[in-house]
Amino acid sequence: MLDALAAIRFDWGTVGDFLFDPVIIRALRETVIIAVVAMVLGIVFGLGLGVMRVSRNPAASGFATLYVWFWRATPVILQLLIMYFGLRQVFEADIFRDNWTRWRVAVITFGLNEAAYMAEIVRAGIRSIEAGQLDAARSLGMTNLQAMRRIILPQALRVIVPPTGNEFIAMLKNTSVAFAIGVVELTNAAKIQSARNFKVMELYTVAAFWYLVIVTFFSILQAELERLLAVGERERPETLFSRAMTIMGSRRGG
Amino acid sequence: MQPRRLRTRLLLLGALLIAGLLLAAACDDDEEEPEEAAATATTAAAGETPAAAIDISGVSELDDGTLTVGSDIAYAPLEFFEEGTETPAGLDVDLAQAIADVLGVDVEFINSGFDGLIPALNTDEFDIVMSAMTITESRSQEVDFVAYLNVGTGIVVPADNPNNIATLADLCGLTVAVQVGTTQETLVVDQSDQCDEPIDVVTFDTNPLAVEDLRTGGADANLSDFPVAFLDAQESDGALQVIDTQIEPAPYGIAVRQSSTALTAVLEQALQAIRDSGEYDQILATWDLESTALP
Repeated sequence: MLDALAAIRFDWGTVGDFLFDPVIIRALRETVIIAVVAMVLGIVFGLGLGVMRVSRNPAASGFATLYVWFWRATPVILQLLIMYFGLRQVFEADIFRDNWTRWRVAVITFGLNEAAYMAEIVRAGIRSIEAGQLDAARSLGMTNLQAMRRIILPQALRVIVPPTGNEFIAMLKNTSVAFAIGVVELTNAAKIQSARNFKVMELYTVAAFWYLVIVTFFSILQAELERLLAVGERERPETLFSRAMTIMGSRRGG
Repeated sequence: MQPRRLRTRLLLLGALLIAGLLLAAACDDDEEEPEEAAATATTAAAGETPAAAIDISGVSELDDGTLTVGSDIAYAPLEFFEEGTETPAGLDVDLAQAIADVLGVDVEFINSGFDGLIPALNTDEFDIVMSAMTITESRSQEVDFVAYLNVGTGIVVPADNPNNIATLADLCGLTVAVQVGTTQETLVVDQSDQCDEPIDVVTFDTNPLAVEDLRTGGADANLSDFPVAFLDAQESDGALQVIDTQIEPAPYGIAVRQSSTALTAVLEQALQAIRDSGEYDQILATWDLESTALP
């Protein structure tokens, strides 16, 4: 057993060398930027789609259902290949040439994919608000859309935010499949470097480290956001930050 | 029905399912074995009997009677899957088969990503790597090589060559698609360092994807081993052409673990045997690759 431990080949020096390597940091930045932009796209579009899903207008709900069905049924890597290589092959039009860059396609595809999942989350959030709220709003003379915007959605947000945070964290990691169309983000940068120096475990450790860092950072942000939205509740969720505030004697942390 | 009876029935159903799956898996294996044995028998009989048999008793990797070969089987005409099948074919496959025949063993190709082949070899996933792998200094520090072919790099461009590419230096400022972990990737990155305007090097897991990027206009050029580049241009229905010069020809090597000295020795003997018998030249001629023969 001690022999096995002694035979471990792992060079911490390489980990140190690459931890703050500019190529890795630039790739890390790409990961975050792609994930954030795609998520914004996904949330905005998904919000609209979610509302369309519960709409009584058959055209709206039909389109939304079809959209969600297609974008959830196909794996995101296939979607990337279709959007990038597939469309370029099928259409000779200029729009699919110089402007259809791999970075833009990656962001758009991840965004459209995310919209489908967000639509379902938003729909669940809307459904969680009891029908009485909508009736009350309508009895006050609001249209469905006004009721949705002023009464339903703001309350539905408390149900929507936790899974959305989850989706964002998944998105941060899913960007790694963008390598299929040649986009370099954190995982791929580690892969490329390890192919050159053959120190695979060391480079993967660097990548894993940075994923842990950014996911932890965004998890903390999400916890704070949930706490903010829980104003007025009897049991507000505690976060590390709020507990720290209490310990340090700040009354507002309680 | 009563809860206890339902639970028993569910357990029984689950057990049957698992048993069924295991049976199916076992049956598949049984069916494969007789076919493989038949295939080996015919190739052994059809192949040429070597003048002096090579002693493989000291080679531990060949104790199971099979030479397992790790390869990125997406690099025609060197290794590729026959269209619509899972049967590997190509120059490397034929050479591996010839070497295995001389050694009196079977050969089995295992598909694996190119950039992970050397690490996988060093963790005993296969006996050797034969994947159009150029012998380089950095690779030689990880594994030993048995040279078997001499090949250079080819540049593939769109048929009308809009950027007038003739040499590596012409790639400055352009977008070049390559496969990750290849000597072509290193070649282009090094060239980019010497350029005024850097080259946008786009890397893909497999070469066909890199060619696809060139084909659909995402890249201005694609670099790969010359036989591959040549074939890609040929099969592009006139969409692509290959620049005529082979860049920096270098030997391909069969990669072997540095600890497998006995295996390396018999591989060298086997390779020499098929060169002496003329089979090496025959195989190269089949693929129109006589120009890549080892000097």
